[in-house]
Amino acid sequence: MQQHEIRRFVERYFTANGCTFLEANDNYMTIQLTAEMDKELMNRPFYWHYIERTGGVPQPMQLTLITRPNEQTNKLKGERLHFGAPRLHQLFRSAQKRGSFIRLYEEPESPLNGNAALHPWLGMNVVISYECDRKKDDLVSLGLHLISGTIIESFHERLRERRLTPKIPDYCFTISPLIKPRSGISRLEQYIRGRIAADDHTWADEARQRWADDLALLDEFYKDTEEKPECYYIEKEALEKQYKPRITVSIINGGLFYLMPRSS
Amino acid sequence: MDIEIKMDETWKEEFLERVEKDGPWASWEMYELALEAAHHLSVPEFNGLQAPKHLPHLTILPHQLEVARRVVEEMNGKAILADEVGLGKTIEAGLVLKEYMIRGLVKKALILVPASLVSQWVKELNEKFFIPAVQQKKSYVWEQCDIVVSSIDTAKKPPHRDIIYEQPYDMIIIDEAHKLKNNKTKNYEFVQNLKKKFCLLLTATPIQNRIEEIFNLVSLLKPGHLGNAEQFAKTYGKTRAVQTNDHLKALVNKVMIRNRRADTPIEWSKRHVEPVLIEFTDEERELYEAVKALRHESFAGSFSLITLLREACSSREALFLTIKNMIDKCEGAVPEALEHVLEKINAVTTNSKAEKALELIRSINDKVIIFTEYRATQLYLQWFLKQHGISSVPFRGGFRRGKKDWMQELFKNHAQVFIATEAGGEGINLQFCRYVINYDLPWNPMRLEQRIGRVHRLGQTDDVHIYNFAVKQTVEEHILTLLYEKIRLFERVVGELDDILAKMNLANLEHYFEDALVHSRSEGEMKIKMENIMAMIELAEQLGKKGGERHAAT
Repeated sequence: MQQHEIRRFVERYFTANGCTFLEANDNYMTIQLTAEMDKELMNRPFYWHYIERTGGVPQPMQLTLITRPNEQTNKLKGERLHFGAPRLHQLFRSAQKRGSFIRLYEEPESPLNGNAALHPWLGMNVVISYECDRKKDDLVSLGLHLISGTIIESFHERLRERRLTPKIPDYCFTISPLIKPRSGISRLEQYIRGRIAADDHTWADEARQRWADDLALLDEFYKDTEEKPECYYIEKEALEKQYKPRITVSIINGGLFYLMPRSS
Repeated sequence: MDIEIKMDETWKEEFLERVEKDGPWASWEMYELALEAAHHLSVPEFNGLQAPKHLPHLTILPHQLEVARRVVEEMNGKAILADEVGLGKTIEAGLVLKEYMIRGLVKKALILVPASLVSQWVKELNEKFFIPAVQQKKSYVWEQCDIVVSSIDTAKKPPHRDIIYEQPYDMIIIDEAHKLKNNKTKNYEFVQNLKKKFCLLLTATPIQNRIEEIFNLVSLLKPGHLGNAEQFAKTYGKTRAVQTNDHLKALVNKVMIRNRRADTPIEWSKRHVEPVLIEFTDEERELYEAVKALRHESFAGSFSLITLLREACSSREALFLTIKNMIDKCEGAVPEALEHVLEKINAVTTNSKAEKALELIRSINDKVIIFTEYRATQLYLQWFLKQHGISSVPFRGGFRRGKKDWMQELFKNHAQVFIATEAGGEGINLQFCRYVINYDLPWNPMRLEQRIGRVHRLGQTDDVHIYNFAVKQTVEEHILTLLYEKIRLFERVVGELDDILAKMNLANLEHYFEDALVHSRSEGEMKIKMENIMAMIELAEQLGKKGGERHAAT
């Protein structure tokens, strides 16, 4: 992640959460937090508890983040922001927590002649993690048409091309889904399982081979021991933890999207 | 395909609940940001390192990166890191740990280090790697904190041991792992029973060890890699050192990485070494001779004459403490000889070494570190320098981490001189200083190396100047000329020395010196004994060179 990307991310994050920028230039920014963001990020529950108990006037903190250190920023009381910085990762976590669930409607681009029907879609962005003693992630964006059951990939890319709004636009109505959300999720999960099954799993075979090799060494080591000591079993279990291939599917975010039907 | 797939269930339930309750829903912008964050956090490849991208402020040297890459890609996260001293094994271990944490393969890790280094590890992991490591202070820490640093001595004791065995550690890191070379010890047994999914053993001197010790170390990491004990003894029992058997060497190298200074393209700043010979005043000389005369006393067997002589060379204060102790222990009348020494102590009014140090410090006019072996000398020097308007910071072992850091800062920002006793040296970095005065010389070359290592290490950009003080016609001069100058100890790069000493198998060089210097009945005998020691060192050096050449040829 480049410094300018970090900067852009941070600006968008705080703007989206209603904070104001007291100062912002190429080198640093000072942000006036809202009470809500102060509670989210600054880790001072006792202060907030005290204010709420006593009915005092809350004073949310200001945060100075330095994206390009120079002589000027050295004098500031601020935090350096780079890809590994704990603060950035806190913002990542916060964004994921606050951006998990959504429901949006498509806004027609030109005025409509009469009413327009919006079709329900279930969208889901997922990470598929392939793990053994190594790890790889695959990000997949899926969309399920809750009427026909059609599933498309790169769904999020398509959403980006449309104008979306949290309220149902005038002269639009939604078609009720034939597929309920719960079974929609199951269908997508099923799709993901199929997708995984079709993948190349050389990585897992190789991991199993490494596992077998180490296990053979271990058995050899204790070959002459009639009753295996406890550490044999501990080590054996550790080898399983180290090498056994496993796949986890976690959902980044997702939601309901009511979209105008397109021919494409 | 027979791979277990785990589906995230938490999102589903919460989503359905929100559908039910009609919200709350995120904004499109937050939704996009969440996805973007996930993109940045995802690991696109099995291979390669993610950690460097997370640590842009850290200067990672090429050999350190290569170590981390090999541990992850070729050694499956189980390795002995055995770089020569000063090449940054801690950085390498931190990199590997960070890499696994970024990949989500390590959540809980246990780091076992010598007690004196615990807080330093905690500090480095937090500041350099943003790894929230915690020092184990209370027993609940084992369970509640993910990355814990502790000394092995604490960890192996109940009730800690049993709690630790219950923890699902993903990674174990052990610093100074050469202490685990004996498989009969409690420490060995303790580590053997830890769950080691990923494991790093850090040690600086594994190769020279006896091969059974290598066997024990490797078997701890990867049991069976060198066969079982019986097979190993049969195959390699006659092998004296790992280097002499190519097959064994190749096998060991599969689990061990050792970078040598010479193999890295790092340019080390130079060391300038200057012996500084000092004349005693008449009073000091008389005192020294009075101490020397104690050799003929009837109680001579009960104390170390060499210690007294060395103290006499350091300061009358250091000597006084020991003499006073001896007098206190006397039952009945105080021996005349001791009274005599006391008189001579009182007669001394100046300290020639201190005068010389003062002169040198003034001419250097920059920050200086003085090392002394004696606490009393340290106090005296601080007082003496203060009399002459020079501010100094005393530093010794036993300071808590916070105090150590504070003293270090004090020296950096407010004082010209840093006066350290031996044990204080561990775990401090003083690269901002480049002048070292060895006020008195330790007789163990490794300790001298550690002293210099405080300033002459990675990160030192300027040449380093070392002044070795020795008083003429004393034990000090013998040590300085015979050992330190003839084998040009100071010009060697760090790390070469431990190889040589280990090859000599001279665990206790000091004892040889003491024997030669104190127990010799004549100058001639002493000379012969010292020459013998020299010859052994030279031999070891030649062996080392041969090994090196052969190594290069293969």
